Amino acid sequence: MSTSASARPSEPLPQWGPRLPLTGADGFLRAFDVDTRRRNAASHLAQLVLRLGPGFDADAFQTLLAETAAANPILRAPILRRLTVGTPCYRLDRSNPAWPSFTLHPAPPDGAAWPALPALFHERLNEVRSSRHGELLRVDAVPRGGERPGTDLAFTWLHMLLDGAGSERFVSFLEERRRGLAPAVPPADRPESPPEVALPALASERGAMAMRWQRGMQGLGALPTRSLAGPARRRVRQALVYDVHGFSPEETTGIVGRAASQAGFLTPMLFYVAAAIRAHDAVLRARGSVPESYVVPLPVDLRPKGGEGGVFRTRVSMIWLQVRAERARDLATLLEDLKAVRRQAIRERQVENGVAAMAYALRAPAWLYARMTRRALHGELCTFFFGYTAAFCGGLDRFFGAELIDGFHAPSVPPSPGSGLVFSLVGDRLNVTHVRQRGVVSEDELARFGDALRSDLTGLG
Amino acid sequence: MSEWTHERLAELIHRILREDLLEVADDFTPRSNLVEAGLDSLAVTQLMLSIEENTGVWVDESLLTPENLESSESLAACVHEHLGQR
Repeated sequence: MSTSASARPSEPLPQWGPRLPLTGADGFLRAFDVDTRRRNAASHLAQLVLRLGPGFDADAFQTLLAETAAANPILRAPILRRLTVGTPCYRLDRSNPAWPSFTLHPAPPDGAAWPALPALFHERLNEVRSSRHGELLRVDAVPRGGERPGTDLAFTWLHMLLDGAGSERFVSFLEERRRGLAPAVPPADRPESPPEVALPALASERGAMAMRWQRGMQGLGALPTRSLAGPARRRVRQALVYDVHGFSPEETTGIVGRAASQAGFLTPMLFYVAAAIRAHDAVLRARGSVPESYVVPLPVDLRPKGGEGGVFRTRVSMIWLQVRAERARDLATLLEDLKAVRRQAIRERQVENGVAAMAYALRAPAWLYARMTRRALHGELCTFFFGYTAAFCGGLDRFFGAELIDGFHAPSVPPSPGSGLVFSLVGDRLNVTHVRQRGVVSEDELARFGDALRSDLTGLG
Repeated sequence: MSEWTHERLAELIHRILREDLLEVADDFTPRSNLVEAGLDSLAVTQLMLSIEENTGVWVDESLLTPENLESSESLAACVHEHLGQR
C-alpha cells in the first residue's frame, strides 16, 4: 500500500521554494551515488532496520509518514542539476507525492524465526532504483511470528543522503511527532535555515581551505593502502550482504568500559576503529597482502552542539585517519597512533577544510570526487568504511506502540573498498553491522575477521 | 605551573565552551553539565586543544571521565591536577 501525502491543516507549514541547495556533504554522498551507478550498475542504497515487539501501529505510522513527507518535501524531492548545468539542488517542484512508500507485507506463512531477517530486506538493499525519487525510498514492514513475534521494519534510503546520524534522527523524529513532542518541520530544516556550518566569507579563504583538504588527500597516497576488495575495477556489479555481530549486555558493558578507558568516554569510536582495522589486518595478513598503511574516513557530525539539530540535510565532515600497518600489530599502539592522527587533524582544521572542499565539489561533476580520491590512493578509496552512531536512534525504546528490541544500520559500500562496519549501541547491547560486497571474503576469512573483532572488543583473545 | 588557578581554568573552559564550541542558552554556567549541554567527541578534542594552547598541557581524552565532564569546574579540577603534575 502506498501513501498519499496530506498535510495536517492545523499546523502552519513553511513556504518552500522550487528548489533547495544541497549541503556539501549531500553533494559528496551524491557523488558516490553517481559513481556507483556508472561503475557498478547499482544504486547507492542504505538501510536502517528496526526489530520491534508486538503492537506496532502500522496505520498510525503510515499516516504520520505521509504527513511528514508532505511537510518536508525534501524527503521526496529528486536531486537534479538545473538545466543540466550549475550546482545540483533538491527540485522541490518535481517532488513526487507518491513517495516514500510504505508496505505492510503479509506475515510469512511459516513465520520467520528470530533472529533471521526477512529476505526481502537484502533484496531491497541491492535494488537498482531511479534517482527520480527522494531520499527516503520506502519503508517495508514484515510481521514476525515464532517465539519472538512482532514486526521487522526496514527504512531504505536512496543515495544515503541522510547520513547515519540523520537517518536515526528521522526515526526519533517520527516517534516524537507521534507523541506530539515535535513540530512538523524541524526548526533547523526550515527553508530559511542555513544549510551549512559557517565558513569564511571570503572566497579566497574558502578556496585555500579546500586546497589544504585536497593536498591532505593527495598526501595519503604516500603510504598506499589496500582494501579487502582491492582497487576499484570497472564494471563490477554491486551485490551487498551483511551480518550483525551482536553482543550481550554483559559483553557490552565490558566493551563500553574498555572503549572509555582506552580511548575516552566521549571518543570511544577510536577504540572501535582500532578493532575494525585489526580485523581487516587479520584477513590481509593471512592473505600475505598487508599494505603500507590503513586509511579510514571517520565521519564527523557537524550538527550544532547543544542547539537544535537538523534531520533532513546531511551535516557531516570527515577526518581521514591513516596509520602505518605495522602499528596494527598491537591494539594499544594502534590506538595511540589513531588518537594522535585525529588530534593533529582537528588541530589542522581538517574538519572545517573538508566542509569547504565539499562545498566546492558541489560545483564540479559529481564523479570527480571519487575519481580524485582513487587517483590519490592508487585506485583505492580507503581500507574500509566506518560508522559509529552511539546510542541508536537517541536511545529510543519504543516505536509506534511497539518495543524496540533491536536495530542496526546496513549502509552501502561500493565494490571497492568492499567492506564497512557500523557500530551502534541499542539499549544495553552493542551491534556491529559488517556489510560487504559478496565474494570479497571467503567463509574462512569471515570467521577470522569475526574472531579478531570479538577478541579486541571484549579483550578475551 | 602556575598562574593557572582552578578558578582561572574554570573561567577559561567556560568561555571556550560558551563562545566557540557550544550553542548554549544564558543559563549555561560553570556548573552546568557539559555532556547535557552538547559536548561531543569533536567538541571535547577541540576544547582540550584550546586548553593546551593556553596552558601548554595536553590532557588526553581517555582521562576524561563522566565525573570530570560534569561541569567546567570539575574539568578545571582535572586539568589543574595535570598542571600540578608537570
